[in-house]
Amino acid sequence: MVQIRKKTGLVQEFNANKIITSIIKSAERVHIDIPPTKTNKVIDLVLEKIRDCEVVDVKELHSLIITALEEVDLSVAQSYCEYSTLSSNQNLSLSEESTEEQFVKNKIAFINKYKQSSNTANSTIDDNSNVSNKNVAILNAEIHKPENIRISRSMVMGKLKELYPDFNSKRYIRDLEDHVIYKHDESSIAGICPYCVSITMYPFLLDGIKGLGGLSASPKNLKSFCGIFCNMVFAISSQFAGALAASETMLYFTYYCKKEWGPDFYLHSDKVVETNYDGKQRTILDEIHQYWQQIIYTINQPAAARGFQSAFVNFSYFDKPFFDGMFGDFCFPDGTQPDWESLKWIQMEFMKWFNAERLKTVLTFPVETVTLLYKDGKFLDEEMAQFVYDEYSRGHSFFTYISDTVDSLSSCCRLKNKLQTKEFNFTSGNIGIQTGSKSVITFNLNRLVQLWYRKEMEKREDSFKFDSSCYPSLKKYLVKLMDRVYKYHHAYNELLWDMYDADLLPAYKAGFIHLNKQYLTLGINGLNQAAEFLGMECNVNDDYAKFCQEIFSLFKEQNELHKDTTSKHHLIFNTEQVPAESLGAKNYNWDKEDGYWVDTDSNLYASYIFKPNNPSLSVLDKIKMHGRDYIGEYLDGGSACHINLDSHLSSEQYKLLLNYAAENGCNYLTFNVPMTECKECGNIVNAPVDKCPKCGCDKMQYYTRIIGYLTAVKNWNSNRQKEFETRMFGDKGTYKTYKAK
Amino acid sequence: MLKYVPDDTSVVFSEIPDQICLAINISGCPHKCLGCHSPYLRDDIGEELTIPVLEKLIKKNQGITCVLFMGGDSDKEYLTALSSYITGFGLLVGWYSGEDYLDLDIYRNHFDYIKVGSYKKEMGPLNCKTTNQRLYRIIDRENIKDITCRFWK
Repeated sequence: MVQIRKKTGLVQEFNANKIITSIIKSAERVHIDIPPTKTNKVIDLVLEKIRDCEVVDVKELHSLIITALEEVDLSVAQSYCEYSTLSSNQNLSLSEESTEEQFVKNKIAFINKYKQSSNTANSTIDDNSNVSNKNVAILNAEIHKPENIRISRSMVMGKLKELYPDFNSKRYIRDLEDHVIYKHDESSIAGICPYCVSITMYPFLLDGIKGLGGLSASPKNLKSFCGIFCNMVFAISSQFAGALAASETMLYFTYYCKKEWGPDFYLHSDKVVETNYDGKQRTILDEIHQYWQQIIYTINQPAAARGFQSAFVNFSYFDKPFFDGMFGDFCFPDGTQPDWESLKWIQMEFMKWFNAERLKTVLTFPVETVTLLYKDGKFLDEEMAQFVYDEYSRGHSFFTYISDTVDSLSSCCRLKNKLQTKEFNFTSGNIGIQTGSKSVITFNLNRLVQLWYRKEMEKREDSFKFDSSCYPSLKKYLVKLMDRVYKYHHAYNELLWDMYDADLLPAYKAGFIHLNKQYLTLGINGLNQAAEFLGMECNVNDDYAKFCQEIFSLFKEQNELHKDTTSKHHLIFNTEQVPAESLGAKNYNWDKEDGYWVDTDSNLYASYIFKPNNPSLSVLDKIKMHGRDYIGEYLDGGSACHINLDSHLSSEQYKLLLNYAAENGCNYLTFNVPMTECKECGNIVNAPVDKCPKCGCDKMQYYTRIIGYLTAVKNWNSNRQKEFETRMFGDKGTYKTYKAK
Repeated sequence: MLKYVPDDTSVVFSEIPDQICLAINISGCPHKCLGCHSPYLRDDIGEELTIPVLEKLIKKNQGITCVLFMGGDSDKEYLTALSSYITGFGLLVGWYSGEDYLDLDIYRNHFDYIKVGSYKKEMGPLNCKTTNQRLYRIIDRENIKDITCRFWK
């Protein structure tokens, strides 16, 4: 056997297991699950080089491992290099000079890998698909992600020590590395950064984007509004890891339309207001469309300050009761009040325009949500509800949020948030609209349930069948971890406040949002698999309904217990089934690798109560499973029900389905029919077709929602592409599946 | 007596315009249409479609607006009996018959939608403009509307 000479001069036998352990740890640090096939390949490659040697220097061995890892996975190679430097394991440590050399070498190797990858999602740390092309700006953001994760973790640990001196802060790292929890977007900004936000744009009316460090003062007319609005979107988005909801966009756009063309502009939108040099006349509606084009194409433009991702923008549309509730006593800075009729007209026109525009370019943003109030067995605003049915039947895909009060807002494709106050305030505008999530930590429920089961088995000294008498014990087990997670959230919250106090969060200082308005979110992933492990089926049945309710109600109850709204820095918590665009596959693979049970008919943990690849569920079943019998009022952070269809339904059918959803308490849903784009002629069809109706070629690519947002399937990471091919579009018995490529 | 194929029972949207249907595939089809897309339904397979079975299916699929029999031509009398039972739930009833000549005067009392016509390959299914098949909406005894054109979008 080959001998390894350590730095101290000591000679030891080559130990493959030791190396494998180091590689796995390095991979975990960058959220990659490295399968044994790959680690074995590294060992083989290394052995191949040293087979004929008697003694190899540890330094030499180390470079051989890194070179071998570069062939297998560059991110892991990079992390390995950094990790082994920090490691106390003298066998694998390097001299300072060569560490630096290796660090740079690995960064260069990462660049080379990025050059060769098929798309951005497949070669990055956070394999999100909100980017379509590879470029140097994305590379620049991606290359620092492993360091960002380490900085963030270290800062949280530091704060934990300060807040809870008796608590072992290393537990945070252990919980993350054990993959029982996951902290979202640790890698996006070095250090600490709030997650997602629903802003009030009122400060923008008063002061433009000056409060954000920009130059523009408050917009004076529609033209300047549109321009500064886009700047505002980018300025705010760059300071958040996730989405930005600008729910008042339509309201403010209407306000400026009135300034431009008078209060009843919408009653004569065909009036000519501009004449081009060539005599071509332009109506109010033409002008409005042009402004929308400017706004929408701009916000879909990748933003350099966000690692060249587009700003993840959400718009909301309201029905009349919601408008009255939210904006009834709202005043613009000039003292005028918004009126429902003009806003209604703008909202409807925008939605029709956006749907039509998507046949020219498949625009990802905004993610749209219509809010409808449903009470006493009907939608209160029948006109808006009818428009929603019609718009769905015209092939427009958007979310509908159904509520029976106006005290919550679903401003995003994922989050629904309770509003804390709706009262209008003259200094900060309609503060009711401000909400969001400051930080998200997600529980890997499948692994947790299995850890609990193993523990229980030890106690009982045998395997046992799960039944409802087990809930108290399971809950007790989960609460232990939850107690720690509330501490982690608390620490993160304090770190955010430190950033705020240091004037590093101008969106907050300028009044667009307030830290006390945002939630700290506990996410759930792996619900389906946890239930299946315990012997349940994820379909319409009482046992599974009880399981969902028990789990979700536990989170709700604990969130209430840990709430603190009396201290200066509020702590408010909510719970959601996270979309887990890339986490779903990470958790699945980590669990599989570590010997936990995973289902064989999926390749990731989906974010619905049902499994989107279950061929035996009807559309009605899926809606029911996202209703009160399963989710109840417990998932206060939301869980969107995605109904995947293979063709568009009639307005009457959408009416039936939305009313069915409302009756069953499914308050957050969307309908997705894949769109197709011809790779040859660029023709876009608002339906899944295998042949271009325009040029007849069969090189077509699909677009659908990867999770909340609509993108080309070709830009998805390979795990999501694989999952797409198993998604059932349509109904039980007649569903269809599609190929990713 | 009629038999149905439990695994083929599903909620469908495209068979009856504007409705959410529970489609029940009935076996033992007496027709022998060339190019039939489910020829196995000619066999005597599946389970007996009794009133309790039907009731269970309806309760399991709450949210549907219409029960649609795909076939059932071998025992029309039994089918009309089932239909009356379904009406009691406040649901509409549809029937995809393979008969070319069906006396609508008899069946208009029992069904809200009736499709008539065997499948003729050269003329195509309902969504082909050349189809021989017809879908009727029976509003009341006197008011029968040919709505086949709804499939020709």
